[in-house]
Amino acid sequence: MNQGFLYFRYVFFVCGLFFLSFNSYASNQIKTITTSDDSEIDVRIFSAKGEKLLIGFACDQGKSIAEEKTAQVLANDGIEVWMPDMLTAYMLPKVRSSLSDIPIEDLTKIIEEAKKTKKQIYLVASGADTELVLRAVAEWEKLHVGSDNLLGGAILMFPRLNKSKPEPGKPPEYQDAVGKTKLPLMVLEGERTPNRWGLGHLVNSLKKGGSTVYAKLIPNVRGYFFKRKDPNTPEDLVTSQMSGLIKASLFFLGKAHK
Amino acid sequence: MKNQIIMYLKNSVLMCLILIASTSLQAAELKKAEADLVTPALKLEDIKGEILDLKDLQGKVVLVQFWATYCTPCRVEMPSMNNLIKKLEVSKTPFKIIAVNMGETKEEIQKFIDEVKPEFTVLMDSKGENVQAWNVFAAPSNFVIDTKGKIRYTLYGGVEWDSESITKAIQDLALEDSSENKS
Repeated sequence: MNQGFLYFRYVFFVCGLFFLSFNSYASNQIKTITTSDDSEIDVRIFSAKGEKLLIGFACDQGKSIAEEKTAQVLANDGIEVWMPDMLTAYMLPKVRSSLSDIPIEDLTKIIEEAKKTKKQIYLVASGADTELVLRAVAEWEKLHVGSDNLLGGAILMFPRLNKSKPEPGKPPEYQDAVGKTKLPLMVLEGERTPNRWGLGHLVNSLKKGGSTVYAKLIPNVRGYFFKRKDPNTPEDLVTSQMSGLIKASLFFLGKAHK
Repeated sequence: MKNQIIMYLKNSVLMCLILIASTSLQAAELKKAEADLVTPALKLEDIKGEILDLKDLQGKVVLVQFWATYCTPCRVEMPSMNNLIKKLEVSKTPFKIIAVNMGETKEEIQKFIDEVKPEFTVLMDSKGENVQAWNVFAAPSNFVIDTKGKIRYTLYGGVEWDSESITKAIQDLALEDSSENKS
């Protein structure tokens, strides 16, 4: 009897630990935003009392472990984080071509919702998803010419913005969204990726819209370092310190915005 | 909601098509270079400290490849580059491969060489100056240069270099020169 009780208590304790760890990086709440065509976009919100709000376009609901952990750390430091799940909202597969299917007005709708918090809004995306951010911001600026803009800047982590496959001997051609915004931008690129050699070219193309563009190479990491299944020691280290990387980026963007 | 369902159906079809396409291997192919593509200079040290100048290789067909140790296709295709050299030696085709590393350290490159054992010249572009001059933004990026030093083909991505079509394309470039000399 006593043994049975102990066993039950042990199981209860282990389950408790399991649920505690499972929820340690869970968002504080899910906000559902309904768009003009009745699509529903779920936004994971990591609430914070600070004056900055970061919208992260993570398109892999349920898999973005590193992003969630980073979001929680940022929220603990006073930066609110919103993570809209764009692909699930439209039942889109996680392939690059899906990005062009995401309606631009729905992206600006999310920014519009975030604006209601009166916080300074920043955006962050990685890889091909950076095109979404640039597209959304360009549209936002078009719709809000001369108005008091709460958009403070965007962080583009190892952006993959080429229009087509690279051609040796030719400078890359970028997606139409490149060079269309005035928003301050921070580009972060891994040192151990061939894309680092195109960084200067990309920065110049982004500046064409009037943006102040910062670019930083992260030493000893490959592109998509925080999504890799085979991370090396520097990649593990940078992934664990990603919130610091983002906070430093927000500092630079804040300076440019003033 | 109706829009979401339509989009879901559209993307299900798309996913099926992608699945079908992915079951057959899509090999990269040599692409004819545009006539106005100028061959930049290339003069670099190899891993042993010896300097190689591309202009000294006129009279041979030269494959210039830009690569990096962290580039998986580069690693995979290098044995086929070794095979290509052997095939072209048999046909007595004047040919050389130069593999330009993109800005890594000598130690990193040496470790890779010890593992993969490329049987061709590996050059070090530690500052990436040649990477920039050749307009290379991805790895592997390849340039096939004819016997007069003109870029005739480019190719991005991994490929089986010892394939019949690539071997023949290189042999034809070498023959162009010899037939011009005869006439």
